[in-house]
Amino acid sequence: MRYVKLPKEKVCEFLERLKSMGTLYGPKKISEKFYDFREIGDVKEVEFEYNRTITPPRKFFFPERETVFTFDTANVEIHETLPTGNRIIIFGVHACDIVGLRIMDSRFIDDLPDPYYQIRRENGIIIGLSCLPDEYCFCSVRRTDFVDAGFDLFLHLLPDGYLVRVGTVTGHKLIENSPEYFEEISSEDKDNFAKFETKRRSMFTVQGNWDDMRYRLELHLDHPMYMRESDKCLGCGNCTLTCPTCRCYEVKDLPTLDGAGGERVRFWDSCQFRSHGLVAGGHNFRPTKKDRFLNRYQCKNAYCETTTTAYCVGCGRCTYFCPADIQFKENLLEVYGPGGGA
Amino acid sequence: MSKPDPMKTYETHKCRLLRVYGLTEYEKLFLFRFDDPEIAQSWRFMPGQFVELSLLGHGEVPISICSSARRMGFFELCIRKAGRVTSEIHKLKPGDMVRIRGPYGNGFPMDRFYDRDLLLVAAGLGMAPLRSVFLYALDNRWLFGNITIINSSKLGKELLFAKELKAMKDIATAENIEIIQTATRDPDWGGLTGRAPTHLDKVNVDPKKCTAALCGPPRMYKSMFEQMIALGYDPRYIFVNLERRMKCGVGKCGHCNIGTATSWKYTCKDGPVFDYYDIISIPGLI
Ligand SMILES: Cc1cc2nc3c(=O)[nH]c(=O)nc-3n(C[C@H](O)[C@H](O)[C@H](O)COP(=O)(O)OP(=O)(O)OC[C@H]3O[C@@H](n4cnc5c(N)ncnc54)[C@H](O)[C@@H]3O)c2cc1C
Ligand code: SF4
Ligand code: SF4
Ligand code: FES
Repeated sequence: MRYVKLPKEKVCEFLERLKSMGTLYGPKKISEKFYDFREIGDVKEVEFEYNRTITPPRKFFFPERETVFTFDTANVEIHETLPTGNRIIIFGVHACDIVGLRIMDSRFIDDLPDPYYQIRRENGIIIGLSCLPDEYCFCSVRRTDFVDAGFDLFLHLLPDGYLVRVGTVTGHKLIENSPEYFEEISSEDKDNFAKFETKRRSMFTVQGNWDDMRYRLELHLDHPMYMRESDKCLGCGNCTLTCPTCRCYEVKDLPTLDGAGGERVRFWDSCQFRSHGLVAGGHNFRPTKKDRFLNRYQCKNAYCETTTTAYCVGCGRCTYFCPADIQFKENLLEVYGPGGGA
Repeated sequence: MSKPDPMKTYETHKCRLLRVYGLTEYEKLFLFRFDDPEIAQSWRFMPGQFVELSLLGHGEVPISICSSARRMGFFELCIRKAGRVTSEIHKLKPGDMVRIRGPYGNGFPMDRFYDRDLLLVAAGLGMAPLRSVFLYALDNRWLFGNITIINSSKLGKELLFAKELKAMKDIATAENIEIIQTATRDPDWGGLTGRAPTHLDKVNVDPKKCTAALCGPPRMYKSMFEQMIALGYDPRYIFVNLERRMKCGVGKCGHCNIGTATSWKYTCKDGPVFDYYDIISIPGLI
C-alpha cells in the first residue's frame, strides 16, 4: 500500500480540492448531541471528531426514497429514471461504515445487480477517517475497526496531520493531481500512527472476537432476553433506518389523479414494522413484536461472505438512537454468556 | 465470466393477455404472450420459477409460472383473487396488456429428476408451480420413470386443474401416470377424501428411486416428511417450493428473508425451491 502525509495546515485546501470535483458530503454537527453526513458548503463545517452520524453512508447510494420509473398507463410503457452519474465524494467515513458499504455492495452488486445503486456507487469516492471508540462501539469484536478495502483514501490521525493510506487507483490519482498537499511520511509519523492504534484498541469496552456469536444465538433462540427486550420495543424502526447495512425496501405505485400515468417509488422499509411480513389474507410471517425483534438479531449476526464478517459492523447506532434504550451489544452479550469479551 | 448487466435485473416486458379461463370461484388461469417477438423467442424458464407481474398504477405481484416450459413465447399464470392487485388482475380482458419481469428464483433442479420416478404433491394453490413440473415431465416423458401426482384441496370444487387432470386419466394410465385428486374436508365430494399423506399408499412410484416435489402449506410438509422418510424416500430427492412475502424477486428488498443467524436466506433468490436438508438445517423455513 502507498502511504503519504496530509499535514494539518493543508487539510482545508485538500477539502476544497475535493469539493471542486463533485458534490462533497461530510460529517457535520447538526444539534447538541447529533452528527450527520451533509453536503459541505464551507469546508470549515466538517467535523473531524464525531462519534457517529444519524444516517449511514448507504443513503448516498440507496436513498430513503427514489422513483425507479415513471409510467404511461394507457400504453403500458415505462421510463426508467436512472441516477445521473454525478460524482459524489464522501469524506470522513469511519472504518465500520466502510465495511458497511462493502456489505451493501455484496448484496446490491451481485449476479443480479441493482442499477440504481451500482451507478451511484461507481461515481462515489470514499475518504475514510480514523476514530476513537465510545462505549457504544463494538466494531472491535466484529473485526471491522480497521479496513483493508472499500476506501479510495483513508486518513489516520497524527498529532500534526494525517497518515493517508491509498486504497485505489482513484486514490492514487487524487494524490497525483494535488501533489502540493502531500508529503512523504517520516519515521515519527509511523510511530505516531502505531501509538494512535494502540490507544484506539485499548479503548474498546469489548475485546476479542464474536465470530461464533451467530452459533451462540442460534443455540438459544428461546432465550428470555428476546421476550423481555421486545416488550420495551416501540417498533419505530430507528434501529434499522440508522443501520449501515439494513437494506429492506418497500415499493409502491403512485398513479396521477387522472390515472394516465404515475411513478413507481421505492423507499426504506423496516423489519420492525408489522407490515413487513404481512401478506394477502392477513397472514403475517412475523406476527408478533418478539418475532420481528428476533428476526433483526438473527439477520444482523448472519455471515457476509464478501467481508467474512457479520452483517452488523458494530457501529452502535441502533442503541444510540433507540428511544426505548434497548441495548443491542449488552443483549447479545447476555445471550452469548460468559466469555463474550466484556 | 462477463459482468452481469444491471439493466437486465428489473427489466420488464410487455405481455398481451390472450385468454382467461375460470378455474374455481377465486382462481383464474391467464394465458399471456410476449409482445416483442424476439423476447417471445428467447424467453425461457424452469418449473418452480416465478414472474413479477405489474399492473401499472396498481402494483406488482409474484406469481408462479404454471405452464409447460416447452411452449415458447406463451406462458400461463393461475391467479387467486387475494387482495388489491390480484383483484385488478381478475378484471383483465383478452387483449389487455401487462408488464412481466423474470423469471426469478432457482426453480426445481430438473436435471436431478431425470431417470427417476416422480412424485408431485400439491395442496391448494401449490398445484400452480407443480403443474409446470408435471407438464414438463409429460413433454419429456422418456426422461422420467413412473409418475404420481396428488392434488388436494379442502373442497372438491376448489381443486385446481381438476378437470384437466380428470380428462388426462385414460391416457395417463397407459403412460404409467397415477393421478390422485382428494378433498380433505368436503362431505359432498364424491371422490377421494383425506389429506395428501394418507394417499401415499396409492402411488405408483418406488420411494428408493423417486424424486418428490411438494407445494402446499407448512403443515403438509411436516406430515409428508415424516411419512416419506418412514417409507424410505431418499431425503436428497425431496424438494419443496416455499412462499414468502416478496417485492423485488432478486434478493434486494429483504421481504422474503428466512432463517437464523447461521443460515440467512432470501426465498426469492436462494429459493423458492429448497431441499429436505435445507429445511432441517434452517429453523423457521417451514
Ligand atoms: C414465489 C411466489 C409465487 C406465488 N405464486 C402464486 C400463484 O401462482 N398464484 C397466486 O394466485 N398467487 C401466488 N403467489 C401469491 C401472490 O403473490 C399474492 O397473492 C399476491 O401478491 C397478493 O397481492 P394483492 O395485491 O392482491 O394482495 P394485497 O394483500 O393487497 O397485497 C399487497 C402486496 O403485498 C404483497 N403480498 C401479499 N400477499 C402476498 C403473498 N402471499 N406472497 C407474496 N407477496 C404478497 C405483494 O407485494 C402485494 O402487492 C405467489 C407468491 C410468491 C411469493
Ligand atoms: S429503535 Fe429501539 S424501539 Fe425502535 S424498533 Fe428498534 S429496538 Fe424497537
Ligand atoms: S446492527 Fe446496530 S450496531 Fe450493528 S451495524 Fe446495525 S446499527 Fe450498527
Ligand atoms: S423478494 Fe426482495 S429480497 Fe426476496
